[in-house]
Amino acid sequence: MSQDDTTAAVATAPPPTDAGEPVARVEDLHVTFRRAGADIRAIRGVSLEVAPGEIVGLVGESGSGKSVLGLSLLGLLGGSPRTSGRAVVRGADMLTAGAAERRDVRRLHLGAVFQDPMTSLNPTMRVGRQIVEAAGSEDEAVRLLKAVGVPDPARRLRAYPHELSGGLRQRVMIAMAVAGTPSLVIADEPTTALDVTVQAQVLGLVKRLRDEIGCAFLLVTHDLGVAAQVVDRVAVMYAGRITEVGPADEVLRNGAHPYGVALMRSRLSLRTDRDTPLLALPGSVPSPADPEPGCAFAPRCTLAGPDCTTTPPVPVEVAPGHLAACVRDLAEIRAFADAVPAEEPPAAGTSSGATAPAAAAVAGTDDGPVEEPAAVRVQNAYRTYGVGSGIGRRRPLQALRGVSLTVARGEAVAVVGESGSGKSTLLRLVAGLERADGGTIELGSAAGAQMVFQDSGASLTPWLTIGELVRERLRSAGVPRAERDRRVAEALELVGLPAEVAKARGTQLSGGQRQRVGLARATVVPPEILLCDEPTSALDVSLAASVINLVGRLRRELDMAVLFVTHDLSVARVVADRIAVMYLGRIVEIGTADEITHRPRHPYTQALVAAVPDLGVEPPPPSGEPASPLDPPPGCAFHPRCPRATASCSDPGLDPRLAAQPGERTRLTACINLEVS
Amino acid sequence: MSALTGGVGPAAATAGPAAAAALRRVTGVPLVRLLAKRLVAAAVIVVALATSVFVLQRLSPLDPAKAMLGPGASASAVAQQRAKLGLDDPFAAQLGRYLVGLPQGDLGMSYRTRRPVMTDLGAFVPATAELAFTAIVLALLLGIFFAVSTSLRWPGASVLRGVLMAGASAPAFLLGIGAILVFYKQLGWLPASGRSSITDLPGGPSGLLVLDGLLAGRFDVVSDALKHLVLPALAISFGPSVAIGRVLRTSLSSEERSDYARTARAKGLTDGAVLRRHVLRNAVGPALSMTGLQVGLMFAGVLVVEQIFAWPGIGQYTAQSIPVADFPAIAGVTLLLGIGYVVINTVVDILQGLADPRITT
Ligand SMILES: Nc1ncnc2c1ncn2[C@@H]1O[C@H](COP(=O)(O)OP(=O)(O)OP(=O)(O)O)[C@@H](O)[C@H]1O
Ligand code: SF4
Ligand code: SF4
Ligand SMILES: [Mg+2]
Repeated sequence: MSQDDTTAAVATAPPPTDAGEPVARVEDLHVTFRRAGADIRAIRGVSLEVAPGEIVGLVGESGSGKSVLGLSLLGLLGGSPRTSGRAVVRGADMLTAGAAERRDVRRLHLGAVFQDPMTSLNPTMRVGRQIVEAAGSEDEAVRLLKAVGVPDPARRLRAYPHELSGGLRQRVMIAMAVAGTPSLVIADEPTTALDVTVQAQVLGLVKRLRDEIGCAFLLVTHDLGVAAQVVDRVAVMYAGRITEVGPADEVLRNGAHPYGVALMRSRLSLRTDRDTPLLALPGSVPSPADPEPGCAFAPRCTLAGPDCTTTPPVPVEVAPGHLAACVRDLAEIRAFADAVPAEEPPAAGTSSGATAPAAAAVAGTDDGPVEEPAAVRVQNAYRTYGVGSGIGRRRPLQALRGVSLTVARGEAVAVVGESGSGKSTLLRLVAGLERADGGTIELGSAAGAQMVFQDSGASLTPWLTIGELVRERLRSAGVPRAERDRRVAEALELVGLPAEVAKARGTQLSGGQRQRVGLARATVVPPEILLCDEPTSALDVSLAASVINLVGRLRRELDMAVLFVTHDLSVARVVADRIAVMYLGRIVEIGTADEITHRPRHPYTQALVAAVPDLGVEPPPPSGEPASPLDPPPGCAFHPRCPRATASCSDPGLDPRLAAQPGERTRLTACINLEVS
Repeated sequence: MSALTGGVGPAAATAGPAAAAALRRVTGVPLVRLLAKRLVAAAVIVVALATSVFVLQRLSPLDPAKAMLGPGASASAVAQQRAKLGLDDPFAAQLGRYLVGLPQGDLGMSYRTRRPVMTDLGAFVPATAELAFTAIVLALLLGIFFAVSTSLRWPGASVLRGVLMAGASAPAFLLGIGAILVFYKQLGWLPASGRSSITDLPGGPSGLLVLDGLLAGRFDVVSDALKHLVLPALAISFGPSVAIGRVLRTSLSSEERSDYARTARAKGLTDGAVLRRHVLRNAVGPALSMTGLQVGLMFAGVLVVEQIFAWPGIGQYTAQSIPVADFPAIAGVTLLLGIGYVVINTVVDILQGLADPRITT
C-alpha cells in the first residue's frame, strides 16, 4: 500500500486509564474529498484509540483534519469522500456499516457537541423537544439539564434557542450529547464561541461529566490552553496526520516533535514576554490538494533536512505512551525547543516611550481634559439600541453607559470584555460608523480613524482585486493617480504580502492573508488611529501571532495610535500599552497591561484573568452567567456575580466611578470594596 | 479569590414565558400591530389605485355617457347624461366623492349594468374566489411536489426540471388553451367551460360551489365543481408553483446541510425524521415569501384564464366593462384585487411568524 501507511502505528500506545477495550479505534484512516477536480486529502493515515472514560484532546491548526476525524467517528462525513481504513466505535465501523447500524451507534453510544451552539440547535424548535429527541422523556430532559448546571430546568424546556445565552445553549447541547449515557462524546471546538468565563465553566462541566457518568470525550480544539486544562491525552494533527500523541502534560510541556514545540511557542498566554516579538510559525499549512511526499511539516521546519522530504517519518516512542513522528532524535528536538530564537523587532505593545503617553492619557480619562494631544478622546459616551424583545415591543438595550477613554498619540489601548459588554459599539462610535446618543468623541486630527474587522474576508468586495480595493482608499483620500500604483505596492510590501496578491481576489486568499489585506487597506493612507475589532479571533495561533506582530510594526513605522478590541486578555496584553476592561457598557478598570493582567484589582478583572486557560492553571470554580444589557442590574452591574459584593453594592443609588488609589497614577478601578493590599 | 458566584442568566427572564410570548405573537399585541399596519397599507393602496383609475378615465378617449346611450344618441342627450353622471365636475370633486363613498361600501353605479358595483361584485366574486383559492393551494402543493421530486436523485429529475422550466415560462393563457386541447378535446377527461354542469345548484350560503355542496350534502355538486376547477386552476398555478418549488428546493437543500440538521443526525434520527421534524419548518419561510410575491401574478392569471374557460367571475365582468368604459366597475375590481393582495400577504406573514419563533412582526 502507500507510503502513508508507515504512520499508521501512531497512538497505539496504551492510554493511561487501561479500562479494557477502547470505545473508539481509528486505524490507518484516509479520507479524500473531491473538490473542483482536485483531490483534497483531508486525512492521510491516522490511527488513534480512545479508552473508556478518557478525555483525548485533538489539537492543530485549521485545516489539519480534526473535524473530519470527529465526523468520521460519528459516521456523518458529508460530501461523499473516498475513505479507507477503519473508524470503529463500539465494534461498528462507522465508515462501512449500514445506515441503520450507524444510526444505532450514534443513538446509543455517541454524543456530539459542535462549535456554535446557536446554529447547532434548531432555531424553530423548543430546546425541550430537542433534548427529548435524544433523552426519550421530558423528566429525563429535566434531569440532564440539571446535571449540566442549567438553573430552573423545567422552565427552560419551553425556551427557544435564541432565548438562551450562549453558555446556556452550549449546556443544552452538552445535555443532548450525554443523553442516554454514551460511551464517547465528540466535542468539536465546544468553547470557541463562548466567553472566557463561560468557557471555564463548560470545561469544568466536561471533566465533571466524565467523572460522574464515565463517558470518554474526544475534544477538538485549536486552543492549547483549553487542552491543557482538561485532557488526559493529546494528539497533535498536522496536514492530515498525527505528528505527536501522548499524555497531555508530556506533549504540552516536553514536546517531542518540532511542530508541537513551535505551536506551543507561538501561543499567547498571560506569561508571554511582551518585550520580544511573538514567535510566529513561519509559512502556512500546506494545501491538502497537494500534500508533501515526506514530512508535511518540512517546509516550515527549522530542523528539516533532505532526509525529511522523501518518506513520511515513522512514529517512535520517546517516552512511555508518548510517540512522535520525526526523523530527528529527541536530543536534537529538545535542543531546538530550548533555543532562543533569532532576534526580530519587538512586538506590538513595546514601542519605546509607550508608558509616558499612557500615564498622561490615564490622567485624562475621568478628570476632565488634559493638555496632551490625544489621538482620540471619548467622554461620557452613551449608546442605546432599540431591540425587538420577541413579543413585538421594542426595549432599550444600553450598549454603552457612560464610557470615557483617551488614547494618546501613538499609544495602543486594548478593550477587553465579554460578548455584549459594548466593546465593538465603542469602536464603531470612534470610527464614526454610528453616533453616540450622549457624550462626545473627538479625534485628534483630520487623519482620522481606520477600521480592521474580525473577518476581513467578509469585508473584501468579492469582484474587486486586492489592488483595486487598496487603491480605492487612495482615491478617496485624494492621492494623485500617478502615485497610486506605487503606494499600493508599498502598502502590500509593508504588511508582508507578495506583490502578485494585488491581482488576486479576496476569495483566493487565506484567512491570514485577508487580514493583512485589511491592514494594508486601513494603513495605505496612515490614519491617526487604527481601530481593530478582534482581527485575530478567527485565526490560528501562528497566524494570530504574525498579525499581532504586524500591527505592532505598522504602529511603530506609521506612528499610529491603536485601539484594539479583543475578548482575549493574552492578546490584549501583548498588543497594548494599556488595557480597559468593560462590563455591561462601562469601563470597570483600566491600567497598564501588566497591572491588569498581573495585579488585577476589580473583582471582574480578577475573574477574567483567572479564567484564561493555561498550563498549570487550575480551572476557576463555577461562575454565573453574564448579565443582559437589556436590564443591567442596579447599583454595581457586576454585583450578582461578585464574590466581594456587599449589601450596598446592589443599592440602586450606587454608581461606582473609576477612581485611582492613593499613590497610583496609571490605574483606575470602579469598585467600592477594593482589597487594597 | 476571583470566583464568580450566583447569577442566573439573562434568559431567565425571558425563557419561561416563551410559550406565552409565542402565543401573543400570533394572537395578541403584535398581531394587532400587524393588522393595524396592514389596514393602513390597504387604505393607502385603495387611495392610490382609485386615483390611478380616475386618471385613466380622464385620459381615456372613450366617453362613458356615449357608451351608455349607444352610437345613435344625440349630442344633447350625451351632454345631459354626462351631467347626470357627474362627469363634468372637476377631477378632484369626482375622486373625492368616490373616496368618501368607499367606507360605506359604496363603489358607485356601474354604467353598463346600472346596478351598484358592489352588487355586481357580490355576484361575480364567489366564482373567482373559489378559483383563486384553489389555484393558490394547488400552487403550494405542486411547489412542494416539484421541490421534493427534483431534489431526489432519480433518473427523471433533470428531465422534469427541464419540463418545469419550459412550462413555467409559458403564459397562463397558453397553458389554459393547451390544457383544453389535451384534456378536453383529445382525452375528454375534464370539462373546459363554466363552473358547473348541474342546473339545480344549492343556493348558498357562500357561493363557493365546493363548500356549499358539502354543506348541503350534495356530493354530485362537489365532484362536478372540482372537475371544473382542475384545468383553470392548473393553468393559473403552474408558473407560480414552479417558482415556489425552486425556492423551496434551494432552502431545503441548504437547511439539510445546516448545523442543526447535523446535530439531529448525530442524535441518531433517521433522515426522514430529520427532514420532517427539523428541516421542513425552517425551510418554508422563503417559499411562503415567494407565494406572497406570486399572488399578484396569479390574480392577473385569473382574469385571463376566466376568459378562456368561460368562468363566470370578475374576469368576465372586467372584460365586459372595459370596452364600454365602465370605470366604476373597473375601479371596483381593481380595488378588490389590491385588497386581496394585502390580505393574502398578511396571511403569509402570520404563517411565517408561526413557523419561525424568531420573527417578530
Ligand atoms: N445594531 C444593533 N442593534 C441592536 N443591538 C445591538 C446592535 N449592535 C450591538 N448591539 C448590542 O449591543 C451590545 C454590545 O454590542 P457589542 O457588539 O459592542 O459587544 P461586544 O462586547 O463587542 O460583543 P462580541 O464580543 O460578541 O462582539 C450587545 O448586546 C449587542 O447585541
Ligand atoms: S521529520 Fe524533518 S521536517 Fe518533519 S518535523 Fe522532523 S525534522 Fe522537521
Ligand atoms: S462594587 Fe461591589 S459588586 Fe461591584 S465589583 Fe465592587 S464589590 Fe463587587
Ligand atoms: Mg464584538
